[in-house]
Order: sequence, then C-alpha cells, then structure tokens
Amino acid sequence: MASKYLDKTSLRGLEKVGNVLIPGNQHYPKFSHLRTLRNIDRIIGELPSADLTDLALFLKVLAWTPSLFIKALFWLITKKDLFPDFLAGPLRLMDIGLKGIIYTLYYSNTSQTENILKSMEYCAETPSYEGSPMQTNTAAMTPDEGNLESGSIDLDKIFEKAKNAGSQIGKLTIRERLAPLIELKELVLERQEELIDIIQKETNKSRSDALFSEIFPIVDTLHWMEVEAENILKDKKVKTPIVLMGKTSYIYHQGLGVVLVISPWNYPLFQALVPIAHALICGNAVIYKPSEFTPLKGAVESLLNDAGVSSDLVQVIYGGGKLGSDLIEKRPDKIFFTGSVGTGKKIMQQAGKHLIPVELELGGKDPMIVFEDANIQRSVKGAAWGAMTNAGQSCTSVERLYVHEDIYENFKSELIVEVGKIKQLIDTNGNSDIGHMTNSQQAKKVRALVLDAVAKGAKALTNEYWIESPKSELEIPAIVLEGVTSEMEIWDCEIFGPILPIFKFSSEIDVINRANDSSFGLSASVWTADKTRATRVTKSLETGNVSVNNVMLTEGNPYLPFGGVKNSGIGRYKGAHGLLSFCNIKSVLFDGNSSKVEANWYPYTTEKYHLFDNLMQALFKGGIMGLIKFAFYGLKLEMLSGKLGKKGRA
Amino acid sequence: MGHAGAAHPIYDAIIVGSGVSGSYVAYELCKKGLNCLLLEAGQNLNKHTYPRTEMDGNANLYWSGGIEFNKNASIGFLRPKVVGGGSIVNQALLDRFDDIALDSWREKSSINFLNRTELDPFYDLAEAELAIEEIPEKYRNGNANIFKEGFDKNEYKWAPLKRAQKDCKYDRGNDCIECLNGCRLDSKQSMPVTVLKKALSGELPGKLTIVSDFEVGTVSHGTSDKKIVGFYKNGDVETFKAKIVVLGAGSMGNTKILTQSDFGKKLKSIGHHFYTHPQYMVLARYDKKINAHKGPLQSLKSDDLNFRQNGFKLENVFAGPVAISMLLPQWGDNHSKIMNDITKLACIEVAVRDTNPGKISINRSGKIIVDKVLNGEDKLRRSKGLKAIENIFNSTGAVEIIEGQLPIGLHLMGGCGIGTDGKSSVFNPEFELHDQKGIYAADSSIFPNAPGINPSLTIMALSIKCAEQITASM
Repeated sequence: MASKYLDKTSLRGLEKVGNVLIPGNQHYPKFSHLRTLRNIDRIIGELPSADLTDLALFLKVLAWTPSLFIKALFWLITKKDLFPDFLAGPLRLMDIGLKGIIYTLYYSNTSQTENILKSMEYCAETPSYEGSPMQTNTAAMTPDEGNLESGSIDLDKIFEKAKNAGSQIGKLTIRERLAPLIELKELVLERQEELIDIIQKETNKSRSDALFSEIFPIVDTLHWMEVEAENILKDKKVKTPIVLMGKTSYIYHQGLGVVLVISPWNYPLFQALVPIAHALICGNAVIYKPSEFTPLKGAVESLLNDAGVSSDLVQVIYGGGKLGSDLIEKRPDKIFFTGSVGTGKKIMQQAGKHLIPVELELGGKDPMIVFEDANIQRSVKGAAWGAMTNAGQSCTSVERLYVHEDIYENFKSELIVEVGKIKQLIDTNGNSDIGHMTNSQQAKKVRALVLDAVAKGAKALTNEYWIESPKSELEIPAIVLEGVTSEMEIWDCEIFGPILPIFKFSSEIDVINRANDSSFGLSASVWTADKTRATRVTKSLETGNVSVNNVMLTEGNPYLPFGGVKNSGIGRYKGAHGLLSFCNIKSVLFDGNSSKVEANWYPYTTEKYHLFDNLMQALFKGGIMGLIKFAFYGLKLEMLSGKLGKKGRA
Repeated sequence: MGHAGAAHPIYDAIIVGSGVSGSYVAYELCKKGLNCLLLEAGQNLNKHTYPRTEMDGNANLYWSGGIEFNKNASIGFLRPKVVGGGSIVNQALLDRFDDIALDSWREKSSINFLNRTELDPFYDLAEAELAIEEIPEKYRNGNANIFKEGFDKNEYKWAPLKRAQKDCKYDRGNDCIECLNGCRLDSKQSMPVTVLKKALSGELPGKLTIVSDFEVGTVSHGTSDKKIVGFYKNGDVETFKAKIVVLGAGSMGNTKILTQSDFGKKLKSIGHHFYTHPQYMVLARYDKKINAHKGPLQSLKSDDLNFRQNGFKLENVFAGPVAISMLLPQWGDNHSKIMNDITKLACIEVAVRDTNPGKISINRSGKIIVDKVLNGEDKLRRSKGLKAIENIFNSTGAVEIIEGQLPIGLHLMGGCGIGTDGKSSVFNPEFELHDQKGIYAADSSIFPNAPGINPSLTIMALSIKCAEQITASM
C-alpha cells in the first residue's frame, strides 16, 4: 500500500477510521479487508495542497487514537447541530472529509475481490460498455468494439502521455517503483481464481496450466524483483584505475523512456505482466499491445490500476498487426516483442529504420536428448510434460525427442503409455492435464503439418484416431509422431501444438549435430547420469538455455536470464541481465572542480610524449620498481602539465 | 497545445471556461467569423475517456477533488471542471424562466430586456442546437413512479422534465445514472457533442482553438489588446492575447479572476449576491425494490404553482452509491444495513429558491471563501418543501424517511451580477464589465438573484444574446 501523498502512519489512521465507519457484517467485508486503500491517490490527488497537509496530519493523530475515541468522535458528530457554529463547522468538515474518502474508497466498487455493488444488488450499466466488471480503470484506453484500429486512436497523445509518465517514474527511487509491483504480486495471489477464469476463457487451456505456467511464474518473478531489483539497479561505484587517481566512477541504471511491449497469445497474462514489471522497475513507461487473440480485455488495466500504477504509465492498447506497426512508427525507446519469427523479422526491420533497440523472444524447436544411462521413467514423464504442456503452445516445448538407440524401443513403449494417459479437458477444478488449442488459425496449421507428415510416411503412435476423425477443430490430442524426415514440413518448422516427433540416435556427436541442425536455438534438455557428458553436451548446443535432467526449467528460476540464439531471438530478459536490458546503463565519472590541467590535454610536447611513454611502460610492467617509476614519472608529468597549462608551449 | 514561450496569434476573442456559456458564446462568435480561443481548466475528455467510477468522476471532473464548501461546511458546492463544464455532469434539464423569475430579475437589475417576449427568440435559438426529449412513460423507473403516485395522492401538480438528450437506449437497458460522470453514449446533449462540435468542425467562418488543462489567473487590458495570464497543470505560465475576453468561469471562477485582476477596487459588488438553490435530498426506504438507479435517472419535476409561490421545487432524483452513502446520517453497522437496502430507496429533493445573498471572496493564498447561509425565509421554504416530500413518501408506503445530511449547491449563480447600476452590479446590460470595455460575461455569474428554475437554458439564451452584442459592437 503506497501513496504519494500520505505516509504509512496517515494511511494506518485512515484504515482505522474506515473500520470504524464500515466494521463489516455478514454481507460485507470490513473496510480494511476490501483493500481499496491502495486507490487513495486517485481520490486525494486533486485536493488543494493545504487541505492535503491538514488531512495527513489529522490522520496521523487518528492513527494513534484508540478506536473507541474515534467512535466517540463520530457519535459527537451526529450531535453537531447542538454545537455553536465555530465548533460545528470543523466537525462537519471532519465528518464529510473522512466519510467522503472512506465511502468513496469502499462504494466506488474498485475492488475486484469483492464486488460490493453486486452484493447490494446495485447494477448500473451503459449498453455499449456492458459486460466485464473489470473495466473500471479510469483513463485507460478501453475503446469499444468498433474502435480497435489505430486510425481512431490518437497515438501521438498516447506517446505524449507515456513520455511524461516515463520521466516521472524515472525520478522515483527503485524502492518507490517496487511498491506497486509488490502490491501487484499480492493482487495476483488474491485474484488468482478470477484471473484463471479469464485466461481459460480466452486460451482454452487447462486450469492447472494457467496456474502453474502463468500465475506462479508471475508471482515468482515479482517476488524475485522485490528481493533483488534494488541491488541490481542501484547506482554502482566502480573501480577507477591509478592513472585516473582522484576521480570516482559510477554506473547509473536509468530507464530508456517508453517501452513498447507486444505480447503473444500463449501465456497472455504472464507475457503481459512480466515484461511490464521489468520495464517499470527500471524506470520506463510502457505501451502494451496484447495479442488480438487473447486481449484479456481490462484485466491487465484493472490489476495495475488496483496496484496503484497510473493509467498513463502503462497504457494498454488493443489492436492487430497494423496497430503494432503504427506504434513502432511513433518511435518508442525500446521494443520488447514475444511472438513468431516472421513478425519478429518485420518488427526488427521497421525498428531498424529508426534505430530502435529491439528485444525479440521468438520461436523454438527444442531438442530433448535422452542418453542410454538416463532414468527412463523420469525422462519419459519429462518428455510427455515438456512436449504437451499448454497443449504444446510454448516456445520452449519439446519438439524433437532424440532417444539413444539402446533404450529407444523401451522408451518409446513407455512414452506411448504415458502420453495415452494425458487427460484433455477445459476443466473447472484443476483436474485436467491439457486443454484445447487457443485459436483456429494455429489449430489448422498444426493439423496441416501432421497430415503432411503422415502422408509422407510418418506414423502417429498415440491418438491415431485424430488423423482420420478429429472431435473438433480446437481439440487436438497429444500425439507422438515417429518417422519424421527432412522431406516433411514439420522437420524444421515450429509446431506449437501437442505433437512430439521422436527420433533414434547412435552417438553423442551424431545427436549434437542433429540437435544443432535447426534454424532455431531457444532451449534444449539433456538427460544422462553422466555429469561430465551433460556439461560437454550442454556447451556444444547452440541454444540460449539448457536444462539437464529436467525440461523447460531454466524459465523456472527467475535468477536466470532467458532468450534464444539464431532465429529464436535477440537479447535476454529476466534475471539481472534481463533487468539491465531495460536500462540505459550510464557511465559516469566525477572529477574535482580544481584548476588542475590534465596530462592528456593540450598542449602536447615532445617532453610530455616521452614522459607519458615512460609512465605507461612503468605502469604495465608491474612490480615494485614499476610502481616507483610510475610515481616518479607521474609526478613529473603533473608538474609539466601544470607548467604548460599556465605558460603554454615554449 | 501551446506552451510557454511559443508565439500565439492575437485572437479576436478569448473565452474563459468551456461550460454552457463559454461554448455557446464561442460557437456564436465562430459563426460570425471570429477566431476564438477557448480556455478550460479541466481536461478534454470524450465518451471513451470519461471516468468509470464515482471515485474518478469526483476527482477528475470537479474542482478541488470533488466538492467545495461554504465557510461553516453546511453546504457543499459541486463545481464542474472539464471541457463542457456542467453539461457533462448534469442531468440536462432545460426550462425557460417564468415571469416570476424574470420579473424579479428586472426589478433587481433594472434591465428591461429580461422578459419572456424579448428572451423567447434567444430561447428558441438555444433550443435549436440541441435535441430535447421527455422520458416516455413506459421507461420511467420506480423512483419516478413513487414521485408521480405521491404527487397525485397529495394533489400536487407534476410535469415531465424536458431533457437535452437523444437516443438514450433505454430499450437496451441504459442506466442514466452512469452519465453523471459524462455520457458514454454521446446521448446527453453536452457541449462537446453539440455546439463545440460544430464550432470545431471547420465549417464555420471563424476558427475555434481549445486549450484545456489551463487555469486562467488574471485578465488585464494591455496597450491595445486584452491579456490573459494563466498556467498549465504542470505550472508553466502562459499569456494569451485577444481583442475581447468573455468570462464563462462561473460564479466562483469569474469572481476569482476579476478579483485577482484588481477590478474589485472599482467594482465593489464583485463576489456579492451569490445564490445556489440549496438542494436537500430526502431518502425513503420501502419494503420493495425501487431500483431508483435503473433507467432514466430523472423523469419528472414538480409543476405546482403553490410550490413556486412558496419558493421551492421538488425533483425526482437519485445518486450513485458513494453519494447516497454520504447522505445517510448513520455510521458503522447501521449505515451498512441501509446501504444494503440501496435498491429499496427512493429519493426526492427539494431545491430552495434562496433569498439570502451569499458572498464569494478570495483570500491571500488564492483560496475561494464562500459566505453563504440560509436566512429565516430560506429555512421556511426548505421546511415547506421537506413537508411536501414527507407527505409524498408517507402516502406511498415508505417504511422509513431519512433526511440527507449534506445540502448541495449545484446551481452556482450570481457574484458578478448584471445591472444598470455600477455600484450594485458588475456587468452592464450589454454584458460588458462596468467601466472596462471588451470584457464580457453571460454565464450564471451574472444572474441578479436566484430564479428558482434550472439555469442551463437561460445561460444558453443569454450567451447567444451576449455574442450578438459583441459582434454588433465590433
């Protein structure tokens, strides 16, 4: 809970008053339980500053006043008409002021955990905005249905707002920037079920997929920021070498300005909040364009709003590819894109025109390599999960499974059993492994890839029925595919569906070559009991991330950076490297304000040349003699520079 | 948006305040080919960006974060601050003044044109710019039905309200209470969707520029032009120049600007004769659902000569949950219990035609101080109104009647009255400042006293007349 205008004590006072005015009953939570105090700045931000000062002071007093006395005060207020005017006036102001703030916080219905108005059976609507009760963010761009294309959105205004907000947040300390992110973490935990409902509705994923792979990593990343961000981003004093004696050097980590975040549809909430949080903590404003397939309309705004992030600081704008391109034309200071290789290339090309730095998190075709000494049971289960989680719609899904020939048949038969057990349902209680495909465009593509492979000789080892007679377009079952060859389209094309091609390999060299024979290089996994071999293979793999005896797990550790090589992307995010990629890493050197003339400034003379040469030789030769010589020549050089500085070249 | 240091043209006219008066004046002057600059302290919002919650509505659409008070905090004032002014947040009620109002104005101001015969053509012109509707009977909500039933049972006379609105989509379940923070359907005939829209269309001979988030501090007479100095939200100071200035910042705004511009020394009456039609909302709890917040918020009004002669009128109103919660005298659990019954509450308000003039002054730090209390006569008018409301509620089966705690002044009128005499008024019958050519006003600040009728339509009519005077004198 943070406020720009009230400190912790004043907020505590306000909360106390709130609980006196609204103690809660069987129908309603008490004031503090509604957790709407976080919206306080939206109310008092426009108050005249003198009133604000009075309010803060008064609340501080109330913070130390026992609740019983506060109750007595309100009782007294009900009798105010009995008092002479000079007393009644202040009592009335106190009364209206406190009630005004408390009731506004409580009855404006900004809490998403408890819909107070709904409990009161009070519902007021405007037709074109009916629907999501989430859309409460005040000034956020939430254009109605007919207004999605950028032609009708004033992008200049959006960028102007973002620029102003960016310069504001840049002035805040890291701790101040962190406050709403901690709030955001708590909110996500609090509203988890509601958020999963929304995610499920738009993505068709299973409930557990949403919990494990969206909600958890969001909270985990925000928690990591809470613990580590200040340490990573604070101004750092660095060493200054002896030649620059008397000076001090620093690295400042500042925001870049306006970061444009363009997100994909596979993990819509995670891919929104995590890059946004990265950008914010580093001191940037954000313009966020979700995928048109999974806009989660209003959800991100509402979360950020409740967390106390102003709607200028993170502006959510809905639209398709044309909008994305229009936004880039307005020259954000950085583009963070997660999505397909094709779009990534277009974005980089357009960004190149304006020299906008880009970070691209693109696709993958991740290999999983199982050596003969791997634990079969574990690696089989790992393969099933790694390939099928989120119905295979992850950029780090296992898309190529290489199994050593010695264990191939055994592994294969266990895998068929394991994959056959996968339960597929868009569930309501967490009791399902995978859901359906998110959109028909991707489902069509996956089907075409598999049909092409089957037509050219590949064989489905599981759920073969689907080849002939699928239940529905979006319900693609988990399929293990054997016999995939380079003639088939599926060979080097990202599948992004619950399809797992399985291959046999004979030697380490062979499998490394085959794993690296791909235009992608996102992540990989190596399964073996031999740690030396694991390290050797890991170092040979041309990918950005490798898990050993596990799969897709580097993403699970927020201390590790994430990103790909080759067509899988550019740059890293998450971890310390990820934070720094949203920063202007500014080098700063401080010197004193003296009359001293530096040795390397004009005029250059032959004598100076020789002295400097001697100094340099002494410095890098090392040893005690070197140091003594360095001091000697250094002194001489200083004196000479001083003299030349005053009198000039002879 | 211009900023400090940028060069600006000398405008033909600068209009301060984009409420009903400022917008109509701007439109009329643009029609006559004048290049106008309209300055507004509030934000320039539209149907996509109007606030969605009472919280944000109060904080973003009004001065001082939502509400202001008189000196002893016995009346709260709502003073809109947004492009379109009151027309964004009001319920768009349009009524012509009757002879009772205009006769008393003539008497107070000695201005002869303040009569229906001479004003009707201007009323016609004003109305022609807006769509005006009455709420069809079939859409009236529970609150309106109680109003009607109670009036009929007590033999009071009522009439349907005339509202500036169009296509409010009641058939699709629109709840007009939502439009108190700005209409998201563009149905309410607010200034930005009517006259301002036309003035900005580029089809008129004159050009209109709107600068929002800019608060005017002073107006002064330069060597040949009028000079306006003010500041943007971020504190940047800026000066604009024009041949003439029209003040449309309302009673408090105009008083503040004129006082800060040192006109108070000559014009002693600045800030005096301030009226506000104090409104007292009374709630009644029924043992059935009323759903006063559904559908059209206001459909009916009192139309009773007896009420009129006794200086009050009754209105069929309701308000959002935050406002309702503030009206209740209870606190703690008792308060929550009544809030739980919010859908069973009906509401009627009495608006008093106040006779006791208030005074607006500006203290050294620039804060507006309002001295405004009810005198014996005003209190009598209020109690007569409250009695009538009580009769209505009692005759319709109310379980409990709850008198609202906070009287509100929504109609802020006077303070810079119009009149022939420079001692008792501020603007002359040509709408021009006494003793200073080229500074005009036609908003509610020039009202000589409280008319007892909703002021919007008359402000429009006077503003059109004012614009006519301006162009005639140029």
